[in-house]
Amino acid sequence: MATPPATRPAPELRRRHTRERLRTLGFLSPWLIGFTVFFGYPLLATVYFSFMHYNQIQAPSFVGLRNWTYVLDRMPLFGPALWNTLWLVVVMVSLRVVFGLGIGLLVTRIKTGAGFFRTAFYLPYLAPPVTATVAFVFLLNPGTGPVNEALGALGIPAPNWFNDPDWAKPSLVLLSLWGIGDLMVIFMAALLDVPREQYEAAELDGAGVLARFRYVTWPAITPIVMFAVVTGVVQTMQYYTQALVAGKLASGVSIGPGSVIQPGYPDGSTLTVPQLVYSLGFQNFDTGAACVLSLVLFAIAMAVTSLLMRRSTGLLSAED
Amino acid sequence: MAPTNARPPAMRRARPALHWIAVHTTAVAAALFFVLPFVFVLLTSVMSDAQAMSGELWPHEWHWSNYTEVFHTPGFLTWWRNSLLYAGLGTLLTVCSSVPVAYALAKFRFRGRRPAMMLVVATMMLPPQVIVIPMYLVWAQQLHLSGSLWPLIVPLAFGDAYAIFLLRQFLLTIPREYLESAKVDGCGELRTLLRIVVPMAKPGIAAVALFQFFFCWNDYFGPQIYAAQNPGAWTLSYGLESFKSAHGVNWNLTMAATLLVMAPVVLVFFFAQKTFVEGVTLTGVKG
Amino acid sequence: MPRPRTRRHRALVPLLATAALLLTGCANPSTGSADDDPTAPVTLRFWHGWSEKNEVEAIDDSIARFRKLHPNIRVKSTGNVTDATVNQALRAGGGDAPDVVSSFTTDNVGQYCSSGMWADLDPFLKKSGMAKERIFPEVLLDYTRYQGKQCALPLLADSFGMYYNKDAFEKAGITRPPRTMSEFRRAAVRLTERTADGSYRQLGFMPDFRLYQNSPDRLFAQWGPTYFDGEGKSRLAQGDTAEDFFTTQRDLVTALGGYGPLEKFRTTFGDEMSSQNAFLTGKLAMHMDGEWRGLMLDASKPGFRWGTAPMPVPDDQADAYGRGYLTGTVAGIAHSSKHQNAAWELVRFLTADTEQVVAFANAIHNIPSTKAALASPKLARDPAFRTFLDIARHPRSVSMPPSVNGGRYIVSLRDFAYEAEAGRVPDLEKGLRRLDRQIDEDNLQSRN
Repeated sequence: MATPPATRPAPELRRRHTRERLRTLGFLSPWLIGFTVFFGYPLLATVYFSFMHYNQIQAPSFVGLRNWTYVLDRMPLFGPALWNTLWLVVVMVSLRVVFGLGIGLLVTRIKTGAGFFRTAFYLPYLAPPVTATVAFVFLLNPGTGPVNEALGALGIPAPNWFNDPDWAKPSLVLLSLWGIGDLMVIFMAALLDVPREQYEAAELDGAGVLARFRYVTWPAITPIVMFAVVTGVVQTMQYYTQALVAGKLASGVSIGPGSVIQPGYPDGSTLTVPQLVYSLGFQNFDTGAACVLSLVLFAIAMAVTSLLMRRSTGLLSAED
Repeated sequence: MAPTNARPPAMRRARPALHWIAVHTTAVAAALFFVLPFVFVLLTSVMSDAQAMSGELWPHEWHWSNYTEVFHTPGFLTWWRNSLLYAGLGTLLTVCSSVPVAYALAKFRFRGRRPAMMLVVATMMLPPQVIVIPMYLVWAQQLHLSGSLWPLIVPLAFGDAYAIFLLRQFLLTIPREYLESAKVDGCGELRTLLRIVVPMAKPGIAAVALFQFFFCWNDYFGPQIYAAQNPGAWTLSYGLESFKSAHGVNWNLTMAATLLVMAPVVLVFFFAQKTFVEGVTLTGVKG
Repeated sequence: MPRPRTRRHRALVPLLATAALLLTGCANPSTGSADDDPTAPVTLRFWHGWSEKNEVEAIDDSIARFRKLHPNIRVKSTGNVTDATVNQALRAGGGDAPDVVSSFTTDNVGQYCSSGMWADLDPFLKKSGMAKERIFPEVLLDYTRYQGKQCALPLLADSFGMYYNKDAFEKAGITRPPRTMSEFRRAAVRLTERTADGSYRQLGFMPDFRLYQNSPDRLFAQWGPTYFDGEGKSRLAQGDTAEDFFTTQRDLVTALGGYGPLEKFRTTFGDEMSSQNAFLTGKLAMHMDGEWRGLMLDASKPGFRWGTAPMPVPDDQADAYGRGYLTGTVAGIAHSSKHQNAAWELVRFLTADTEQVVAFANAIHNIPSTKAALASPKLARDPAFRTFLDIARHPRSVSMPPSVNGGRYIVSLRDFAYEAEAGRVPDLEKGLRRLDRQIDEDNLQSRN
């Protein structure tokens, strides 16, 4: 089919071209296969199943838009799940960035015992999410947890943390601040990269602490802050493990041998979109509705990331 | 010296000292926030059943036997084995499959390189829940492999977007001249990759391997989908969540189990601290 | 540029072909069969939910007795299996899927029968010449079938009643367990003791629905509710049964100190199955639980005397006193089993062999589930257990109706109850109408 343009040189060069193309394909092949099988196919299949009734036991049957109207209109959990996910994206990401920057600034100023403090601040990040969550549910247990015991001894009224619908999400934010290590390290590296002379020059110009931060530090670390925001948003849209484990454990409901426990304790306040996908697909075996919700999540994720990526082009730049 | 800075000498001497005190007081307060949870968890893990439910902070007696008891709960050792299998094999496969892809994306010139890179980033950003249902159906109903860890391990043999992305960022920093000179010496691309690129990229590969190991070790969603139906395939992260209610135990044993699951990660960290911190920096600073 | 475009199309072809192949193959391929010879050597996989040491021993003993009768059938049993696991495994199919399955509750029978996940047992009953109506009590047959399809059989039953602390009753000057809800509330308040700082030392009764076995469907049984009308539509908002139930529970919560303090107190309770169970440690004076708890109480020798009684009933239904919530373990055959005749032999032995049913019931302290076993002189009859036998036999005791999507409506009911007990449903009638609508929507969504 392809006639090479007249300017193309001898067949030898063409062979080299083909060889290079094959070589490139060879190197890329693991990912090309992986992308097709583990991304392309499931995405198509998700669209297909979103129009099917399929309980994973009887053959799928076409139901038109029923799953879509069910999820978007007749399923009361959709709204709260979306709201909780957005709440977490906004509050958790911004607080993490501010706190991470604060800890980063603190660490760069510590003169004595810097190694100890750095390790102490970093270590919680390494705690596997399930263990960290289990530990926090215990620490913040309203009845017997050490935190409320301590607050009680000091005469401070203590909230019911994971057991109070108004406090459950803030408790999850607290948990995420405990594991700030990742942001601390990248902010620390970025802060140390700011040339000292710039600070000294600013100081000579009579700039105070705030002015120095505003005019020297901030411009230098903006790309990193953007990066932290983008990755934070991406991670928080997938927020799953901590919310699920915290809800289940704090509810104190023993695993029912018969019927399932709806995630989101207390009162749906920790139910996120990913948890609802799981609940629909693997607790109710409502494949169609779960796929609809998957596609909604997909659309939101793509919209948000393309928006954020346009603002921080750093991820794709630096060709060589 | 600017006039604004003209202060009485005593105050100028006091300022660094005050600064030192302010910084270190804040640091100690922050350290308490980060460290105290570990301390409380450790203290509770050695309490008796009754005391663990009392709200008291200091153990009356130190029940170190709680740890042996955790090890003897049915399944705990199997979870350990499974976690090691998933994390170990998963890391190996990820690195082996991702390095050539990252190399091609970083150093080969071909049409469609930029779209390919964008697709890698897009997959990286995609919540895993988006595609899990059809994927599960294939593994469960076509291949009958649900109830095992293979649905989690096998895909890693086909490159992981995050690993490809990080490795590419790292490989971009290797100067093209090294590769050219290798080619002059008659090396094919594969030999260039193995002889020149991999040794030079060791820090990057080590960081990616560590990340992948931690990711697999910590993964909860994957095992919940694929391994849940077979307790013989549970991992530590998954088993721990139901540990308390499934075994009818109280906070003391739960906290002991929690520490036992944290321990390997913390140990790996202390041995590979430098690689790890470099790796975290790599994710951000090169961006 | 036509060239790259054609090429791109070409690349799509294998992709779409693969997709089509995978999609069309999605109907579950692992269908079982009932043409195996039950006398041929075979290994059966049997999944059950028992996990406590004495329970596992009892099930192992049962299998040993079965092996003596059927030496050709080996049984590989797996314990501590929940319905979630059964649900997932039977859908996935494959070599490790079980042949004989069981569930601790009747909640999901409707789903198991209507979807065909559990095989219809009537053909097997017929082949063996068994008349099920003569063997099993009517109410137990009801909760093991859905729209005429008998896909499960009862394997022992459970009834729910009250455990109470006799020492605490004596101290509070209460002579007998309360029988009506107003008596119940007065007793619960009188039995509640507080410490100097105002927190609870002993609570008369924990009304909160998340405690241990307290789920709302169980307490609601005391009202004898009707969940669905003749057309299968949810009818909780009709009449004032449900409204009265939620009002009574909420009054109880208020009388005992309010939802917040009660929930906080609940977080000081140890695990249900541990030595720190709140009734066992004396934090609760009255407690709703199943008949099996007696065995555990005996074994852990609490520092007080305890007794059992039926749960109280609403004041206007005082004549129904003695009723309670009924459920039971149910057993069946997986649709995917290739050894269904052999599997039937095991199901039949476990559910209908009188000697086996009595021995197993005695060993794990459950209610036997056949007429013959209920009448057997070998059945253990200590007074604490007697109460639960009577509840099980009470004509006005209540079990949950099966539904096409299993326990989904029970989950909705629970979520509503959690809201209601927290005082987040200002208008109960409106709320119940919303709940009805939700249950109907979910049922509709589960149909083909």
